[in-house]
Amino acid sequence: MQLLFDDIDRAGLNTLAVYEEKGGYEQLRRALSMSPEEVLSELQASGLRGRGGAGFAMGKKASFLPHGDMDKYVVCNADESEPGTFKDRELMQKNPHLLIEGLAIASYAVGATRSFIYIRGEYDYVADILDAALAEAKTARHIGPTMGDEGYGLELWVHRGAGAYICGEETALLDSLEGKRGNPRLKPPFPAVQGLYQGPTLINNVETLMNAPIIMRMGGAEYAKIGTETSTGTKVVSVSGCVQRPGNYEIVLGTPTREIIYDLAGGPGEGRSIKFFFPGGSSSPVLPGTDENLDLPYDFDSLAKAGSMLGSGAIIVVDDTVPTIDVALKTAKFYKHESCGKCTPCREGTNWTVKMLERIDSGMGTPMDLDIMSSVCDQIIGNCLCVLGDAMAMPISSMIKHFRTEFEAHMEARRAEAGLGPDGALSGNDVTEDRGGPYALTGTRTS
Amino acid sequence: MPRPQTKEITFTIDGREVTAPENIMLVDGAKHGDVEIPVFCYEPKLGAPVGACRMCLVEIEGIPKLQTACSTPIKDGMVVHTQTDRVHEAQRAVVEFLLINHPLDCPVCDKGGECPLQDITYGWGAGTSRFIEPKRHFKKPLELSPLVAIDRERCILCYRCVRFSQEISEDYQLILLERGAASFVGTFDGRPYVAPFSGNITELCPVGALTPSTYRFRARPWDIEQGGTVCTLCPSQCNVSLTVRDEKVLRVLARDNDGVDDGWLCDKGRFAFQHAHSEERITQPLVREGVALLPASWEKAYAAAAAALKKAGPKAAAIAADETTNEEAFLLQRLFREELGSGNLATPGAALPIEVTRALADPALQARVEDLEFADTVLLLDCDPLDDASILDLRLRKGIRRRGVKLAVASAHPTALDDSAKVVLRYAPGGGEAFLVALDAALSGDEGNLGGGASAAGARAGDVRALRDLLDGDVVVVFGERLLRSESVANALLNIVSRLGMRGRAGAGLLCLPSTTNGRGLAEAGFAPGHGPGYQPLEQTGRGLGDIADGLADGDLSVLYLLHADPLRSLGDRARWERALGAPTTTVIAHESVMTEAVREYADVVFPAEAYPEKEGTIVHPDGRVQRLRQSISRSGDVRATWQVIVEVAGRAGLDLGVLAGPMASHQLFGAVPFYAGLTLDTIGPQGTRWVEGQQFDIPEWTPVKLSVPDAAPAATNGSLRLGTFRTLWASKEVDVSPALAFARPDPVVEMSPVDAERIGIGHGDEVELGSNGTKFQGRAVVRAAIPAGSVFVAEGVGELALTEALVEVRALTSVGAAPVDGDAGQPATDAAAGEPTEVGTAADQTGADTDTHPAEDASGEPRGDTR
Repeated sequence: MQLLFDDIDRAGLNTLAVYEEKGGYEQLRRALSMSPEEVLSELQASGLRGRGGAGFAMGKKASFLPHGDMDKYVVCNADESEPGTFKDRELMQKNPHLLIEGLAIASYAVGATRSFIYIRGEYDYVADILDAALAEAKTARHIGPTMGDEGYGLELWVHRGAGAYICGEETALLDSLEGKRGNPRLKPPFPAVQGLYQGPTLINNVETLMNAPIIMRMGGAEYAKIGTETSTGTKVVSVSGCVQRPGNYEIVLGTPTREIIYDLAGGPGEGRSIKFFFPGGSSSPVLPGTDENLDLPYDFDSLAKAGSMLGSGAIIVVDDTVPTIDVALKTAKFYKHESCGKCTPCREGTNWTVKMLERIDSGMGTPMDLDIMSSVCDQIIGNCLCVLGDAMAMPISSMIKHFRTEFEAHMEARRAEAGLGPDGALSGNDVTEDRGGPYALTGTRTS
Repeated sequence: MPRPQTKEITFTIDGREVTAPENIMLVDGAKHGDVEIPVFCYEPKLGAPVGACRMCLVEIEGIPKLQTACSTPIKDGMVVHTQTDRVHEAQRAVVEFLLINHPLDCPVCDKGGECPLQDITYGWGAGTSRFIEPKRHFKKPLELSPLVAIDRERCILCYRCVRFSQEISEDYQLILLERGAASFVGTFDGRPYVAPFSGNITELCPVGALTPSTYRFRARPWDIEQGGTVCTLCPSQCNVSLTVRDEKVLRVLARDNDGVDDGWLCDKGRFAFQHAHSEERITQPLVREGVALLPASWEKAYAAAAAALKKAGPKAAAIAADETTNEEAFLLQRLFREELGSGNLATPGAALPIEVTRALADPALQARVEDLEFADTVLLLDCDPLDDASILDLRLRKGIRRRGVKLAVASAHPTALDDSAKVVLRYAPGGGEAFLVALDAALSGDEGNLGGGASAAGARAGDVRALRDLLDGDVVVVFGERLLRSESVANALLNIVSRLGMRGRAGAGLLCLPSTTNGRGLAEAGFAPGHGPGYQPLEQTGRGLGDIADGLADGDLSVLYLLHADPLRSLGDRARWERALGAPTTTVIAHESVMTEAVREYADVVFPAEAYPEKEGTIVHPDGRVQRLRQSISRSGDVRATWQVIVEVAGRAGLDLGVLAGPMASHQLFGAVPFYAGLTLDTIGPQGTRWVEGQQFDIPEWTPVKLSVPDAAPAATNGSLRLGTFRTLWASKEVDVSPALAFARPDPVVEMSPVDAERIGIGHGDEVELGSNGTKFQGRAVVRAAIPAGSVFVAEGVGELALTEALVEVRALTSVGAAPVDGDAGQPATDAAAGEPTEVGTAADQTGADTDTHPAEDASGEPRGDTR
């Protein structure tokens, strides 16, 4: 079933003319002819869950915004930075008007008159496409100070971020949008109560908002029939890693994971098998490539039950040729680099984990390090200001859990390579000469 | 604005039922049940919690995740556990995480022994670390500013200092640079953190990362003791705790008193303690023999002073200022009135008829410091709190930021709070009275006086109306005593007070910022020409400040008794005072702690005075709070207590004051001032007592009087500009002799508008000369966009300012600066110190030699280690 990807590769879909030909902005006009409460109830009836990572019901979140006459905002989170996730890019690049229409519908539903699309700085060309589409929409009076008969007006801006992962965290995004350093805020208060410029704010992912016109077209109840009971609708899944046809695939939620990885993305290369996969972006706990896991229906609850999560819907497949420690180190390094540094467990924990993994990789590790690493991860999970720390701790912790023997074997092998005996004693002669990695880490650097 | 109401609720912590005010944070609520929850980033003074350090994680029943106690308000029926394994594990983990990059150099760290990180590690940490990787490294220590050293390796990134800079002092200089584990505290481009309140970060820092340069390696906690007293360096009278080692003050810490200072100090208060141990201190009596001031015995000095006073009799005059206590003022006025028959007692403040003085001092009219935070509107009249009573600047910022207080500013000189104000009204120097007449007319609907007054003040009637529209609800009027030049100004002010219905209204009122530290106390102790102790009427009034100067110059008066007063620097009109002091008939007796020009050139008898840490007695805060000075160190050299010196001199002049010890003087004072009835040194206590809260003056309510529009301030002409003066926090004898504050000592400057500068051909930083009637003043030009065209401003007490005319001619002497351009980089040191980061400015050379002490070049703080 293709809802978001319907006609996605049609030439000129990014222009208003083609989009309108397909019935574009009709749903916005229809929404404007309804009362905001009616629009909101359609969204609620659809059961649509957020597509950005947390999977919170979109209509419910929108209903948290207080009613009444005040400055309210809707912000589209287009800071798609989770490694492995590239669905929003394609959606915005090819069908920008759908996002604008969806954002306008959501804004009308919650009574916001100012809205923003916060797009990551690296998506510069996509932002250009959005800008162009927005200009067209404004010229055609789809967006602007007077949009409907009731005098509803919406001002909409495309704001480019500077390229920090943390700015995809909703409160850090708001800080960044306000011109501050992008650091997460303490919650509560939640953005729905006190968000952008202290006003009630609805923040949703690109894909979530793009579903709004579709829901309006189909009707919320009808939309809810797609997918499973608790995971309604379709989902664009980015499949990457060791597969033959990486890319974005729109699936109905509840489709078996195996179908996505093998039938759509072509599975791993000839003669290889899946060692494990990240089911929902690099921050989700990994699942070993067992039949049981591959048969999991790809929806929010099934993955949560299996100990992982659907997250942003990015499947990263790792086959048996890839050492787990390489994946662990790359993942940890990413989150260490992107940690904002505001709260202690994430700032120090990611830093520490990377140092331990580097040491293990260099042959200076011992099995005890794995225990320490697990315990460090445990102390990060749930104890931070936002979930960035968890995003590193969850996959690393799951990798140690599932592949402990591989880590241990890797340590032994690297210790042998580095010329260290089984008890850690040096079997070589000169510890400082030509041995690079391991000793550089324990030596003192003075430069 | 209504104060927040508190409701008591009951919650359970570690199995105990505890009652505490609802919605306070759990960290504070836990204290009501004697439970301590460790914190690093939480500091209620800094405003809303940030929950960054995660040290205070606790378990709350019904919430699956651990919660930060610093950001969780307590609710009725909440059940909290702080001693479960889960909580212990999380707290131990946070300590372990924090110590990963901490150098653990406690044995050489100044904070060792008084360090929250140390204490919490012992109390809540695991005692061991599993971290064996290399730590991150920074160059250390570096000068963050001339006053503060930063050791970034010790920093635990709690954000307190950054929050202070961003949200309390609003100088916006400190920021977190870089990200994640590479984060470090710094300033843009490594510039020195120079701001009027920067020293507070050293007290906020929970580790040894930010230390005052004046305290580094001077003492360990077991070497020192703390002495609580009150800072007398400005009318804010902040409560301080002095760190004393071997009878020397080494450090000044804030002693929290919400009613006075909210727990903050300015850099002058924090670092000018060095004056107490300066080489410039006068430590023995001096008597002039011929032209030379020579050391003398106390006996000789007493005898000389007593003889001069006796001979002068009613021809004696006295001026008290600065750190003079109520007791000293009270005893000296007794000597003058009872023995000499002289009522010539003046202070730098105003001398008004007794009815007006009493009307302004009416307890029903007095605002409290806290009212600044909760008022609907605060009107600043002819004052800049930063320079007049610095700590109130922070209080106003707090009110504006956190409680939405509306601020209106009406002054001649730009103030540091202009950017936070809803309405800023600028009038011409000297136009204060005309402005008040216009405002009074705006309130009463007298369009004629409104237009006339505004025009005479050099302001627009529309602006006056806009300002009036803000004066609604609880209004606090903060005014500089300098505004009260005449009775008619006071009448205008009282009219406004009456029209706003401020009398007796809780949360509203007047707050007068006196011209000298204890201005209010001096007046209450009867040290004034027009009234006795407790504002009691006199049969015969004495001469005011100006008349004293003229009387001395003319030979009508023969003795001038200076109690910590410096006529050449802080009384204005220097030429007049030079004539007065230099008259052949004038004998000058001075109490002074450091050598000043007036003492060196003119004093005949000099009594060494105590620095404030050596003093005992009482002073009165501008809001009517009687506070107690307590001696924290022994007096330097031969210095004797000033009250004792006055008693000795009086005895030799023929009056037994009946005071054998300091507290006896206080006792006499409390007995003589009716509204101090019942006060004792004990009841004053550590936080002071506001006498105005239980007292009423028997005076009729003010009925507005008819005002007439004063003459317009002279208009600037092509050749000349209007001269105004402003006070600066940094112009004081204590700053002058404190080496740490050398960089902040103000140079003579001439502030002018870009329009005038361009017309005359003066660039920012040029040497310029002001002149009128043959009197000249030289200074460096500071071109500020905020200065209204047609006026120039010079700082009081900086340089030899003898100009008195309203109009001055301005000419360039040299041209060193560039043309005045907006937005150029760089700040004159004094401007930066005054916290005005938005002004125009050029001239990288302005800080001159001071730049050598600035760490700009090496403060980049690149981490050296392997963290990248």
